[in-house]
Amino acid sequence: MDPMESSGEENIVEESHKLVDSLDKLRVSAGSSSSNFKKKPVIIIVVGMAGSGKTSFLHRLVCHTFDANKRGYVLNLDPAVMSLPFGANIDIRDTVKYKEVMKQYNLGPNGGIMTSLNLFATKFDEVVSVIEKRADQLDYVLVDTPGQIEIFTWSASGAIITEAFASTFPTVVTYVVDTPRSTSPITFMSNMLYACSILYKTRLPLVLAFNKTDVADHKFALEWMEDFEVFQAAIQSDNSYTSTLANSLSLSLYEFYRNIRSIGVSAITGAGMDDFFKAIEASADEYMQTYKADLDKRKAEKEQLEEERREKEMEKLRKDMESSQGGTVVLNTGLKDRDAAEKMMVEEEDDDDFKIEEDSDDAIDEDEEDEEMNRFYV
Amino acid sequence: MGSCDILSVLFGLDFCFVTMGYAQLVIGPAGSGKSTYCSSLYEHCETVGRTMNVVNLDPAAEIFNYPVAMDIRELVSLEDVMEELGLGPNGALMYCMEYLEDSLHDWVDEELENYRDDDYLIFDCPGQIELFTHVPVLKNFVAHLQQKNFNVCVVYLLDSQFITDVTKFISGCMSSLSAMIQLELPHINILSKMDLLQDKSNIDNYLDPEPRTLLAELNEKMGPRYAKLNKALIEMVGEYGMVNFIPLDIRKERSIQYVLSQIDVCIQFGEDADVKIKDEDEDFGDDQ
Repeated sequence: MDPMESSGEENIVEESHKLVDSLDKLRVSAGSSSSNFKKKPVIIIVVGMAGSGKTSFLHRLVCHTFDANKRGYVLNLDPAVMSLPFGANIDIRDTVKYKEVMKQYNLGPNGGIMTSLNLFATKFDEVVSVIEKRADQLDYVLVDTPGQIEIFTWSASGAIITEAFASTFPTVVTYVVDTPRSTSPITFMSNMLYACSILYKTRLPLVLAFNKTDVADHKFALEWMEDFEVFQAAIQSDNSYTSTLANSLSLSLYEFYRNIRSIGVSAITGAGMDDFFKAIEASADEYMQTYKADLDKRKAEKEQLEEERREKEMEKLRKDMESSQGGTVVLNTGLKDRDAAEKMMVEEEDDDDFKIEEDSDDAIDEDEEDEEMNRFYV
Repeated sequence: MGSCDILSVLFGLDFCFVTMGYAQLVIGPAGSGKSTYCSSLYEHCETVGRTMNVVNLDPAAEIFNYPVAMDIRELVSLEDVMEELGLGPNGALMYCMEYLEDSLHDWVDEELENYRDDDYLIFDCPGQIELFTHVPVLKNFVAHLQQKNFNVCVVYLLDSQFITDVTKFISGCMSSLSAMIQLELPHINILSKMDLLQDKSNIDNYLDPEPRTLLAELNEKMGPRYAKLNKALIEMVGEYGMVNFIPLDIRKERSIQYVLSQIDVCIQFGEDADVKIKDEDEDFGDDQ
């Protein structure tokens, strides 16, 4: 990478400062309002593997809240979904056009979804404000997440969105399980380990929704969760998989099961809805007792994440401007402004060209940084 | 005539070299740095004079920083599938991978023919964890490789920037185990993007876990009801060392070399190939 002329670089930095400032002004000053923690509505974030039936499940939740006179609000965070069977009050697709993003930034489908979510995350304080203003009129906010689970669970934007919710309302994560696919003990365990990873990542109450019980009853799952010896026997008899790893893991998972609520549901038939909402209420209570104390820490964490993201964006913006040589950068100025194309910061993706910094300001101070790391190097 | 045939003629015995192949299956969440890892490893091997062939198994991949030896997109492309079958990106990906599984005995075998003796392949996989947890596609692919005498090892990458505290660390471990349990292979866990990590002081706690300290921190972060679970997980990770992470800084040759050495041990690369004789006479044994 050729070193930039110093004056040119200064201008660019100045420009990017201006842009970040204008981004700031777009945000509704959430500072004051989000300090009021609300007991309602309960935010239900629905996550699950692709194909587990998240969207159908959410659809069922929407119908149920309507039928049961519970006041629900729907938020769709999946930018690539083609059509939703329900109407969303707030839909990421209104703000971010997934296909345009892909074209604009020359990304593949994964990159497109990730970037779309990033774009939306920058505006998320506005979403929270909208919900706060209507808090007295709402019981539940139902959130549909992108089809690929890790775009939400292992991304900065997913974390920002989760924290934005969790620091303002009681938030419960619902992990949708594809019950028929999980009848194999190893797949079941793999699924449960992933659910456990979500529990620790979000630090929020977790409800397992065993979906598709119309196809396969989830009784076997309940049995496996109750009694780990039954589970271990099931592993032994499956494909002669005799791993001690599986056995040790099943012991740890036993503790996991006792800390979560599991409900069998069917999005198609509507079975399990009442039990599901009971579990949600119980989890929300748990949230108020246990997690609320954690609130200040969560808020601080969220602010930290935002700050880091903004720094990254600054850097990326600077690089983008360098490469486009100061060409026009258009910014979306409103939540529903469809016309303006948005040039935004892209999370580092697999497909990105990795640029190795050779500028003198980024010089690696080898001695300082590597002391601890040295033992890992040959 | 091959070398085996020449030897057979000379000694009147049936010689057969056991051809071993070596393979790394590179997996991890989207954005963890898999493709970057592959290209860095490729460049490193070029520098040190080792053959290394990178295979792209991601039908949705666009740009490559490495020369691709085998590419799933020659077999099936995500775009085509999405267009022709009207599937969304997830459905299309599943379709592509299942198509790969169906082609194990033709396209895959044909391509693998080019890589036999002591050849080293790195498979750059798609990010989606569903491929390992929910469907046996990749597991079957691995089984097929093993049948072709490849020693396979899984390399799981996690972005080090996400591991900001012990809860994220545990989360990362669980996520890694979730894939491991399905693949049943020796594995190496890598904390990638160490070069992007601003504050390295923290990360050392997770590269060399001190169970008691971690447990105390974990109990603080999670509510009291999780005490038993916290303890069980820290034991698994800290004491039994079930999940060990190695740091990777791609700016540094020696970091890449360290990772490579660890993997080499994992798949037994570099141990001299045995010449085995297909004969009733047992005396010959190993010809070292």
